[in-house]
Parts: sequence; C-alpha cells; structure tokens
Amino acid sequence: MTADAIRPGDDPRRILSEVRGLAARVRRDQRLTWVALLVLGAVTLLAVPFDAIFMQLQCQADGCTFARRGMLYYWPPALLIAYATIAWGYLRAARARGVGGRVLPYAITGAVTAVVFTAAYVAAALYFPANPPFEGGPVPFWWIVLDRLIAPWGLIGLALLVLAAVERNGPLLLFTGGYLALVLLVLPTTEGMSMMGANLRLSMAVPQLIIGIVLLAGAFGFAKARRP
Amino acid sequence: MTDVSGHPVTGLDEVVHQRVRLGILAITHEAKRVEFGYLRTQLDLTAGNLSKHLSVLEAAGLIDIEKGYEGKRGRTWITLTADGDAALAAEISRLKMLIARVETA
Repeated sequence: MTADAIRPGDDPRRILSEVRGLAARVRRDQRLTWVALLVLGAVTLLAVPFDAIFMQLQCQADGCTFARRGMLYYWPPALLIAYATIAWGYLRAARARGVGGRVLPYAITGAVTAVVFTAAYVAAALYFPANPPFEGGPVPFWWIVLDRLIAPWGLIGLALLVLAAVERNGPLLLFTGGYLALVLLVLPTTEGMSMMGANLRLSMAVPQLIIGIVLLAGAFGFAKARRP
Repeated sequence: MTDVSGHPVTGLDEVVHQRVRLGILAITHEAKRVEFGYLRTQLDLTAGNLSKHLSVLEAAGLIDIEKGYEGKRGRTWITLTADGDAALAAEISRLKMLIARVETA
C-alpha cells in the first residue's frame, strides 16, 4: 500500500483486500495469546496444592464425602489477579508496538467468571447438602457437563472463547474448542479421576495437572508460532 | 459524502478514496489507537509523507492527533473520530458496491 492515489483503473477488490490485509496485520500485532495461556496454565497448576491441602475429607465404612474448600479460597482471587495480569500484559505489549489493545472485554468476562464461580460454589455448598440434586441418585450427563462448565477450568475456556472472538483469532478458537471438549466431556474435573490405589486428593489433582499442562503447551505453541 | 442513490463512484469521498489515507483509517480503526511510527512502518512511508496525509485527515475531522512523551521519547498517537469511522464504513461499502456492479455487469 505504497502508491498514493487510487486510480480509476484500480481494482476495488484489490483495494479492499489491501485494507483487510492491513487490518489483519494490526490484529496480529495486538495479540499476546501465549501470555494469556501461560498465566492461566500457571494459575491452574498453582491451584493443585491449595485444593489438596484444604480439601475436607470424611471417610466412613461406606465411603468418603469431601468438600473442596481450597477451590473457594484460591480461585476467585486467583482468577481476578490472572485476568488483571493478562490485561496489563496485553496493553503494555500493544502500546510498545504502537497500537491500542482489545483485551478489555476478555478481562471483564474473566472477572465476571470469578464472580459466577464464587456465587455458584457458595450456593451449591449451602443448598445441596440438604437438597441433593436428583434426590441423591445418579445425575445425568448434562448435569455433569454443567457442573464442569461452572468450575474454574470450564470458565477459563468460556473466557478464552471471548478472547478468540474479540481478536478474531482462528487458531485460538480451535485451541479453545479442543480445550473445552477436554475439560467438559473428557476430564472428570469435578469428580476426580479414579485410579488404582490413588487417594481422593490425588484423583482430584490429576485432571488439574493435565489442564495446566495443556494450557502451558498451548502457550508454548502460540509463542513459537508468533516468532518470525 | 455517502450518497448511495447513484453509481457507487459518484459517492466516493475524495479525502478517503486515496490509497494511503484509506490505509491510515483502516489501521486506526482496527488498532483503536495507533502510533505514528507504527503507521509509517505498516504503510512504508516517509515521516513527511505520512504527516501530510495525517494533516488532510485531521483537517477533514476524520482523525484526532495527540502528541505526548513517554520518558524522553516523543510519541504521536492517532485515533479515529466518529466521522472518520463513518467515512471508512462508507468507503468500504462503496467499494463493495463497485465490486458487486462489476460482477453483475
């Protein structure tokens, strides 16, 4: 786009394509996807000891009941700090590159997810002990998916969808699709991964470790793809 | 400026229908706020040439120019005004109409 005037013979398709090309370059320069995934991966891995240490376990002959209090102590402030850090990093990098940032809707969504998680956790902790869902019987799969969705790892995925939309970031959308499928449909994030001989604390830690590693691997991939 | 009743060419805005200025508006729209040096690099222009185009756009009320310092370094930031946003949208719409005319002719 170096010539000055648009001449009568210029193809409007080419002009439009040049304009779109410039806009796409700006969007690429505004992104800092790897930092977002790095922060979220680190926050996820840091949650593991909190969950294990503060988990309240009561075991009797017919089985164990547990309450994951560490999640309530850790995740709301951790999510808020994580999204503030990501927003700060995005804006700082964009400013250094000479462009404005588009991260605000993502950071706001992230903060809202922290509130949603806290409210859902507290409501469930108050209501469900006296009123178990489905009268204490087996719960349907949709309920399990909903439970996983409003857990921090599902909410991280929802916020990433917002980031992908705001940035019009196709690769991030694909990554998030895979991430959400893993977190909602595959990993038993809220029930724990039953393994031979593993205690309940460890069974809860394994899905979190997998999620943390997936986010860090994503950060590594996006950082590597960014290099010229 | 945005007459849509006649042939698309008749409604083209002389200020915007210019390759570099269209590029400036497109980049600024996408970036929300853009620094002079970034525009110069992306559009491959000399500082003098870019300044002339920015002056035209500023005089037309399509952009705002804000000069300041970061440390000891002077920086110039450009933002799109509401008129600039509308002018860019109108130009893009005109270009699309032209393409549609060419394709249906």
